[in-house]
Amino acid sequence: MASAAAKSPTRLEVLSLFRSLLRTAHEFSDYNVREYTKRRTIDGFQSNRSLSDQQSISAAYANGKEQLAIVKRQAVIYSLYAPKVKSIMELKSV
Amino acid sequence: MAMRAAILRHIRIPVRSYALEFKPRELNLSGGSLMRFMSSHDEHLTKEEVVERVLSVVKSFPKVDPSAVTTDVHFQKDLGLDSLDNVEIVMALEEEFKLEIPDLEADKIDSTGLAIEYIYNHPMAG
Repeated sequence: MASAAAKSPTRLEVLSLFRSLLRTAHEFSDYNVREYTKRRTIDGFQSNRSLSDQQSISAAYANGKEQLAIVKRQAVIYSLYAPKVKSIMELKSV
Repeated sequence: MAMRAAILRHIRIPVRSYALEFKPRELNLSGGSLMRFMSSHDEHLTKEEVVERVLSVVKSFPKVDPSAVTTDVHFQKDLGLDSLDNVEIVMALEEEFKLEIPDLEADKIDSTGLAIEYIYNHPMAG
C-alpha cells in the first residue's frame, strides 16, 4: 500500500512514463491494439491532468506503471502470433 | 607445387597507397546542403524535405490549427498545447523519421524550429 512517505512523482517522471507507454504501444504488430493503446494512454493522462493531491497522483502513477508492464508483456505475446496480412488501415494506398 | 609458386610469382597485384585527406565536415546550418566527404550515406535528407515533413506531421495533429503552423512556432506558447501534447508530437516525429530520440533531447524540443534542426542534424533520419 502506498505509505504516507511515498514520494509524489516529478513532472519529468510522469512525462517519461507517458513516453514509455507510447513507445511500447508502437511495438505492437496489431494495428487495432496499437491504436487503442495510444488513444487510451493519451485519454488517461489528459483526464488526470488536473489532479492536485499527492495521493491520487501517486496512485495514478503507480497504476500507469502497472499498465506499462502489462503492455510490454502483451507486445511480446502479440508479436509471437503476428498476423501475416497487414490491416487495411496501414496500407498507404489501396 | 612448384608450378603454383611460379604462377603466383608472375601474378603481381600492385599495391597502391591512397593519400587520404581528412577534411573536417562543414556543417552549414543556414540552409545549404551538408558536405560529407567520406560518408556512405549519400541520401541524407535535404532541409526542405525535413521542413515539409515536420510541418505536415504537426499540422495533422488534431489539436493544432494548421494555418498557425510555420517553421518557427512554439508548441506550447503559440499553438496552445501542453507538455503531454508536446511528447505526443515528438513521438509522431520519431515515427515519421524512424528515429529514436532520447528523453533528454525530446524534452528540449519545444518548437518546430528546434524539431527541424534536431532532425536535420541527426545522421539516422530517414
